[in-house]
Amino acid sequence: MTNAFPSGLRTRIEAILARYPNRRAALLPVLHLVQRERGFIGPEDEAEAAVLCGLRPVEVREVLTFYTMFRREPAGRHLLRVCTNLSCSIRGSAGILDHLRRAFGLQPGRTTPDGRFTLVEVECLGACDKGPCLLAGDTLHENLTPAALDAILRELE
Amino acid sequence: MVKVTIDGRVLETAEGTTILAAAEQAGISIPRFCHHPALTPEGSCRMCVVEIEGAAKLEPACATAVREGMKVATQTPQVAEARRNVLELLLADHPVDCPICDKAGECRLQDYYRDYGLFPSDLREPKTRREKLLKIGERLILDRERCVLCTRCVRFLRDVAKTGELGVFGRGGGSEIGFIEGAAVATPYAGNLVDLCPVGAITDAAFRFRTRSWFLEPKPSICPFCGRGCGIEVDVHPGFARHPETGGIFRVRPRPDATPAGPWICDVGRYAWIEIESRRARAIVWNKGGGGEAVLSAEKAFALLGAKIRALDETERTGRLALVVHSGLTNEEWDDVRMFRDGFHPRPLLRLADPPDDGGDGFLRTPERTPNRRGALAAGGADLRPLDLDELRARADLLFVFAGVRGEVTPWILHPEEWRSIRTKVLVSPVLTEADDLFDFVLPCASAFEKSGSYTNVEGRRREFGAARPVSEGIRTEGGILRSLLEAVRRGKRE
Amino acid sequence: MAERPLTSTFDPAGPRSLEAYVRGGGYAAARRALAEMTPAAVAGEVKAAELRGRGGAGFPAGVKWSFIPRTDPGPFYLCVNADEGEPGTFKDRHILAHDPHLLLEGIILCAYAVGVHTAYIYIRGEYEEPARRLEKAIAEAAGAGVLGASVLGSGFSLDVIVHRGAGAYICGEETALLESLEGFRGQPRLKPPFPAAVGLFGKPTVINNVETLAHLPAVIRNGASWFLGLGKPKDGGTRLVSVSGSVVRPGVYELPVGTPLRDVVFVHAGGLAPGRTLKAVIPGGMSSAVLGPGEIDVPMDSASLAAAGSMIGSAGVIVIDDAVSMKTVLDRISRFYAHESCGQCTPCRVGTSWIRRIVLRRGAGEGRAGDLDRIVRLAGAMKGRTLCPFGDAAAVPILALVTKFRAELEQ
Repeated sequence: MTNAFPSGLRTRIEAILARYPNRRAALLPVLHLVQRERGFIGPEDEAEAAVLCGLRPVEVREVLTFYTMFRREPAGRHLLRVCTNLSCSIRGSAGILDHLRRAFGLQPGRTTPDGRFTLVEVECLGACDKGPCLLAGDTLHENLTPAALDAILRELE
Repeated sequence: MVKVTIDGRVLETAEGTTILAAAEQAGISIPRFCHHPALTPEGSCRMCVVEIEGAAKLEPACATAVREGMKVATQTPQVAEARRNVLELLLADHPVDCPICDKAGECRLQDYYRDYGLFPSDLREPKTRREKLLKIGERLILDRERCVLCTRCVRFLRDVAKTGELGVFGRGGGSEIGFIEGAAVATPYAGNLVDLCPVGAITDAAFRFRTRSWFLEPKPSICPFCGRGCGIEVDVHPGFARHPETGGIFRVRPRPDATPAGPWICDVGRYAWIEIESRRARAIVWNKGGGGEAVLSAEKAFALLGAKIRALDETERTGRLALVVHSGLTNEEWDDVRMFRDGFHPRPLLRLADPPDDGGDGFLRTPERTPNRRGALAAGGADLRPLDLDELRARADLLFVFAGVRGEVTPWILHPEEWRSIRTKVLVSPVLTEADDLFDFVLPCASAFEKSGSYTNVEGRRREFGAARPVSEGIRTEGGILRSLLEAVRRGKRE
Repeated sequence: MAERPLTSTFDPAGPRSLEAYVRGGGYAAARRALAEMTPAAVAGEVKAAELRGRGGAGFPAGVKWSFIPRTDPGPFYLCVNADEGEPGTFKDRHILAHDPHLLLEGIILCAYAVGVHTAYIYIRGEYEEPARRLEKAIAEAAGAGVLGASVLGSGFSLDVIVHRGAGAYICGEETALLESLEGFRGQPRLKPPFPAAVGLFGKPTVINNVETLAHLPAVIRNGASWFLGLGKPKDGGTRLVSVSGSVVRPGVYELPVGTPLRDVVFVHAGGLAPGRTLKAVIPGGMSSAVLGPGEIDVPMDSASLAAAGSMIGSAGVIVIDDAVSMKTVLDRISRFYAHESCGQCTPCRVGTSWIRRIVLRRGAGEGRAGDLDRIVRLAGAMKGRTLCPFGDAAAVPILALVTKFRAELEQ
């Protein structure tokens, strides 16, 4: 059973392939693209990405499972990545996780039952001077306080 | 050539040789898990690290090329400590499975701990539990707790078998060997993974729990299942003194010098012995017709057959003696065939029936499925022609069919009615076959592992081999049967 | 202007457009180099400027470029290391946020000097907004003939492609970066061969950090001796120091190489909050050895920090005051390296995992006598014994922490 990508996605993948002298080098960009479209990368997507990059599915899975940004299962509509590395810890990331738990019922590693949020603890996001910080999707939110968190999450449907 | 010093010994070796290979040439062994001479260097187990004069850090011998004037030390306290560290780290999460692990006795972790370890460890965290009984191939079991992530299996499948079914999933301490569901290891070279795995992570399901490696005696031989003639080692249990029935073949593996392409054999060569040993022909059977069957002694059988042959000869009928042979006979057995052929006038029909060639497997296994076709064609000469059932029906009166290495008897199964006209048919086979009932006499013979002699492979190389096991009481080799028949005919004539 | 040549033109409001960049004098150095200098002359200037890599390894950039074998038919590649994953480091993000064209001009200069016509910017996957900003700047530049078949009308061709990582700190290590770019797991390669000989797609490759390249326009504009004069012998110029942790004014500070660490903390970053005392300072990103309060009178340059038993690394200064427990520090360090270990080689794969297990057990209140010794032993088994420098990065901070703060950790 193949799950061939829609033609729009295929076109964008062809454009990516053209940027490299071999097909394998396009694998990470292709996986990013697929994850944006589908929300995660399932076994059929693995197989299709393998075909497009001239690989075996097992080679795709080797890559998929190495990099923490790739999801093999759907996440909530909004992925919240909170840094709890050293500098953010010093600046109070524990309080942020605490507030997310008490005010929104969010636990690291879990998705809310209504599928709205997935919360993940991550390592340094490179915004240490403005911690605590989190990525909501691709957007970086810095200098977090409980009030700021409330405002941010309210905007995320 | 460059001159290097290893442990005080000056060696000359080709430029580009690794320290590991140069040391081996000089008889200095350096321990290693991930390195394998037939695979690309990995340098990840860190067991082979050595001291190089002038270098700040220890370097992996498997991945470091020698340079002119290099001075290497493999036995220093620093190297010893590095080896102990690697062992301690590998053993930290390694399950204490030795009492139940098939690899015991031939496990690198055990051997190196004995040679370079023997230290206590105070690492006492609970060991990581992982999947212990994962079927990764038809006959392969992966125990992820035992795996040391040397990646030999992954590299072999990717670079030698070229099927690449296995990969490393995850990252860091969570890394594990895996495959895609539905795409487990299926290469005809899967069995080599068991030999390759330096520990008991990948084991053979057919060998599991059956014996202990140290009871087995390795007998060098040549694989008889195709024209390549890979060098094999037949692992034989001699049988415990008080329980001789425990003896037998337990395993077939490639020798280190198995083929020029590396120490590999295909799964046919590795596992065909199982089927053969499970249905050995043991008794001489005389199918008297009308459902009657008798088991004969060798003396009686040969006397009977000798008489039948003499009867043919003496009456000088137009019917003939016919031999259908196969390309599994050794070069030395062909002397017996020729002697038998020359013992009668007119000469018996001599016909060759081998299992049909298949396409081979693109690597080691040849299309021809017998080990000595070159030898057969050379020895048989013009007399030896391909099997023609019509001709046999028309001309043969007394037929000896030699069934072949695996008892392949397909032509007879397909046309049993058509050749009932041949008055006497004798089957010589190492194994029980579906055609047994179609023959008047069935003579058991030695298996390929019970013969010694030589084969000439597809490349024209003639290689000698010895028997892995002695023949059982009362069983003869095919050549021995021909000699016994001839003797019986001649004895009868004299009387 | 001369004191902060890299950042003084930054617009606090956001990234400079191509037009603003050019108006501020941008791309003039590249234009001049392409028109009036030979590649060898550009490379010579950079070498003479003693510009050390700003990513963490600190290898002199000009020397690195000189390892490219000129007679090799190529093609040659430039990989820009924008993987900025060293905890406490955010200076490259700062450059990308404010002046992507500065990076592009640096890329042009490097490419010209080395003979590269295709450059890949490997940017960490978490930097999605900076990546888009870069792609926008590249499109702007290409549209204006600053990149493409004839850079600034010179006939020299250069394409720049943004390539995102996907969450793996190890991909900041240059050979792991190459592996990742080629579509593999980010597992470092054995060296030799070095990337200058066998790099991206097997071709000679230069890998440079974002900030390293961002210094190039000023080096070419003002000359090697000017740049060298800003810093110290064998370690020229200014560097962007990221300061975070228990300070009043965390941020990115462009400072001359050799600025005392004490000044970084107490003068530039405003020191500690009222009532707090200094407990420790990590000078060069998490992978560097922590310094005690009595050890911060050290100049922030490569040689001085090495002599002090630490390293300049990425110049990611993390300040720790007495409100921070060193157990927390040990927890974050051990968690980070266990999470980021690629898993390829035995000492690191197992060592980081076992150190983490011991730290977790202690964190759960079940510490045992001898734990710290065990941790030191495990770190010692990694240090200098691994396939790549990650083993040292995992071992050194832990060894320093346990050595200098044993009493607090033992409680």
